[in-house]
Amino acid sequence: MLSDKEILHIELPNNSNIEKLRRALNKIISEKYLKNNLQNLSKTAAFFSEADEVITDNYKLKDKELISIIPPIGGG
Amino acid sequence: MTLHTALVKIEEEKISSEKAKKFILSEKNGAESIFVGRVRNANSGRKVTAVTYDAHDQAVIKSFQSICSDAKSKFDKDANIFLEHAKGHVPVGEISILIAVGSRHREEAFKICRYILEEIKHQTPIWKKEHYVEGKEEWLPGHSLRPKEEIK
Repeated sequence: MLSDKEILHIELPNNSNIEKLRRALNKIISEKYLKNNLQNLSKTAAFFSEADEVITDNYKLKDKELISIIPPIGGG
Repeated sequence: MTLHTALVKIEEEKISSEKAKKFILSEKNGAESIFVGRVRNANSGRKVTAVTYDAHDQAVIKSFQSICSDAKSKFDKDANIFLEHAKGHVPVGEISILIAVGSRHREEAFKICRYILEEIKHQTPIWKKEHYVEGKEEWLPGHSLRPKEEIK
């Protein structure tokens, strides 16, 4: 919904953390994707590391790190 | 092997209760509990024709295995567990999830089955889009995995 590709590239300053990524995501959504009902995504999404574990807002991002955006879940 | 978990691409394969029953069958067990979840034809007053399930495949398998291992540790370390969840377009009446548990006693079998289902709903990255008779479709609001203390 945020990209026509599997991966969305977001550039952030060095030593950024997940909170900064969350803000960047919010900006992208406000500028381009408000019509897609995604206005709460930056607030409600969790982020997974490459090891598929939830990472918190103070997690420091590494160079070229791949992070998964996990919207609220609803399986079962 | 006492544990089987899978995310089943429903366009290629069906979830089979026969396969599940065979997997959990053991002479050491006196109880089998099987939960079958199916797509129903209505939700919140709207007529549903199908549900599309999407998933973070790798994280789903990791989550399934972790939940099942926890269930075994909590209730019966020797239980046999079969767990499959659908991925893709699932029409009304078809199976979306199947949990089968073989255990020594009924109490543990029931508890494990229930525990796995509830934990999947709260931990596993699977998303659900409903399709309605009038041709519309909608992703359902779900449960956020963001740590609660961070949500202001």
